[in-house]
Amino acid sequence: MELKPNDNVTLTIGTSAKVIKELGRGGQGIVYLVELAGQQMALKWYHNPPSDAFYKNLEHNVNAKAPSDAFIWPEYLTEKQKGSYGYIMRLRPNDYFEFGNYLLAKKSFKSFDAMLAAAMKICDGFMKLHLHGYSYQDLNDGNFFIRPTDGDVLICDNDNVMPQGEMSGIMGKARYMAPEIVAGGRPDKYSDRFSLSVILFMLFFANHPFEGAKVVACPCMTEAFEKKFYGSEALFIYDPTDKSNLPVRGVHQNVIRRWPAFPSLLKETFIEEFSADKLKNPNKRIIEQGWQKIITQVRDELVVCPHCHEETFLDLKAGSHSCINCGKDIDSTKQLKMNTRSMILTPGTKLYIDNDNVPDGEVGVFPKDNKLMIIRNLTSAAWHVDTPSGKVKVVEPNDFMPVLNGLKISFGSSIKGAPGAKGEIIA
Amino acid sequence: MGLLDETVSVPRRTMTIFFLIDTSGSMEGNKIGAVNDAVVNVLPMISEISDTNPDAEIKVAALEFSSGTTWLYDEPKLASDFVWQDVVAGGLTSLGQACQDLSAKLSRSGFMKSASGSFAPAIILLSDGGPTDDYQSGLRKLKDNNWFKAAIKIAIAIGDDADKDVLKDFTGSSEAVITVHNIEALKQIIRVVAVTSSQIGSKSSTAGDTTKQDQVIKDVQDATKNIDGAEGGDSTSANNVDSSQYIDDWG
Repeated sequence: MELKPNDNVTLTIGTSAKVIKELGRGGQGIVYLVELAGQQMALKWYHNPPSDAFYKNLEHNVNAKAPSDAFIWPEYLTEKQKGSYGYIMRLRPNDYFEFGNYLLAKKSFKSFDAMLAAAMKICDGFMKLHLHGYSYQDLNDGNFFIRPTDGDVLICDNDNVMPQGEMSGIMGKARYMAPEIVAGGRPDKYSDRFSLSVILFMLFFANHPFEGAKVVACPCMTEAFEKKFYGSEALFIYDPTDKSNLPVRGVHQNVIRRWPAFPSLLKETFIEEFSADKLKNPNKRIIEQGWQKIITQVRDELVVCPHCHEETFLDLKAGSHSCINCGKDIDSTKQLKMNTRSMILTPGTKLYIDNDNVPDGEVGVFPKDNKLMIIRNLTSAAWHVDTPSGKVKVVEPNDFMPVLNGLKISFGSSIKGAPGAKGEIIA
Repeated sequence: MGLLDETVSVPRRTMTIFFLIDTSGSMEGNKIGAVNDAVVNVLPMISEISDTNPDAEIKVAALEFSSGTTWLYDEPKLASDFVWQDVVAGGLTSLGQACQDLSAKLSRSGFMKSASGSFAPAIILLSDGGPTDDYQSGLRKLKDNNWFKAAIKIAIAIGDDADKDVLKDFTGSSEAVITVHNIEALKQIIRVVAVTSSQIGSKSSTAGDTTKQDQVIKDVQDATKNIDGAEGGDSTSANNVDSSQYIDDWG
């Protein structure tokens, strides 16, 4: 039964929440704005009560707490009442937009920097979810809300989150599901990982990885055809060995434009992840940390062009040093090296050492000499720099250091996700 | 930000929702009034489902049938562009002709010519009586149509005079026939059926074995339980309703 303003709903913790108004409705239920102990929260109320097992699982999730702050997690459960039940979660701030809006080009990322931050945050969310022993099961474009300015992500619909090996009974959309699930298998962390690769591909390229010439040629996409195109005969649009499903000009415009702009490392990873081998062998799929490493390295090649001041990717591996916007060559010889990473340094470029999406440094120019680049310490702790002649310099927070060959930086405790990190300037 | 500014919407398939509306003489009065009212009110809901859906856009087509048949527009329209002209009741019930007309439009040379392809359509049939023409040959032809075979098909039987065997024959199962006994239920069921078919029909199908048709039936049946005067599936209608109450409902 639907709820009305001023209806009270009792929670299992004994208190009750008062309905203020409806916020939205979907296939499964209605979301209401409610007041709970003077605080505004959201209540998801099911049209028809799902099974008791579903209720028990919700109860478990409420007690277990969210895997990370990216999850809009069930916080309180209602008693079964008024013919149904629901759960309370925090409200989603209104500067976050459903991923579908980005696909429909109603919203767009302010920058590639924000896009990469979103990708990193989604990977982090799924890594934490799997670390806690859950699988998501119903992963699709309606589950993510993203802030266009900085790429921060909120993951919703966490009522379908189940312990590994159990079924929520709510199945995801074929377009986002792994082939073995489309064929009728049980979702698990391996199939979540496949869905993650699909979501990341759509985030970067704004088209679907399996929707090319073959799929466009299908006049009526019935369930049987979906099983074929996303399951038994799924074929990546840029499969190097079978070019029968290439993107179609005028239809798949976004991927045709963007594919050449991204570094080869990212493209090779997608080619690998969507290869016949990985489609058939779920346990060979890349794990979330693997994606985070790739995204980190892609971010290391994202710079601000010194000529046109727009963002551009460079591609050291492919030997490409020109700006995707103005076409001019960019000097990529000045780098911060950290283990296998090479962060290219150009004025205006932000440096991300760990995966928390907070820039740790920013490249600029010396106040009285714009030929001399500097790196500003954006962290809250000091860096120690060894000079080639054996001196040790301290770079306090918000202070800066020059980009000069051979300077060795000890980041000390300044980088939360990478304590003791070290790097060296090549210039 | 050059490249990101040039982003266009992902290509979307089209899902067409067909309303087949019996406008025979017996529909006259508050039945046809309720149908007009319900469809006008559901169009904005369909429009919203379409606007926020990256899988498909939804278009609407409507065919009224009485002594003859008329398409309200000569092509499917986005719900936001579909200006509903109230249909008027009068005449016979040419369901067979309606089936023929529908079959002709369920083709790539007819209504199903979207460049980026389609999802299977959803077809909602509303009737309060039985066909007065040779519906069998029309329906036979329609059943050979591949678009029809793949379609989500739901029938709304208005009152007990509706020929439910015919409606069952049309949809392929008795579970897909919903009976309504009063005006309010009729309005609510039109909304539920249209919204549910739009939501399910316009999305990529769910993984696993449930078909879209089964899912729509299940969701509509579930919703029907909460609507007074609406009955899903097999149950023989009005058996447990007092006749005076029943007459009042239609009054």
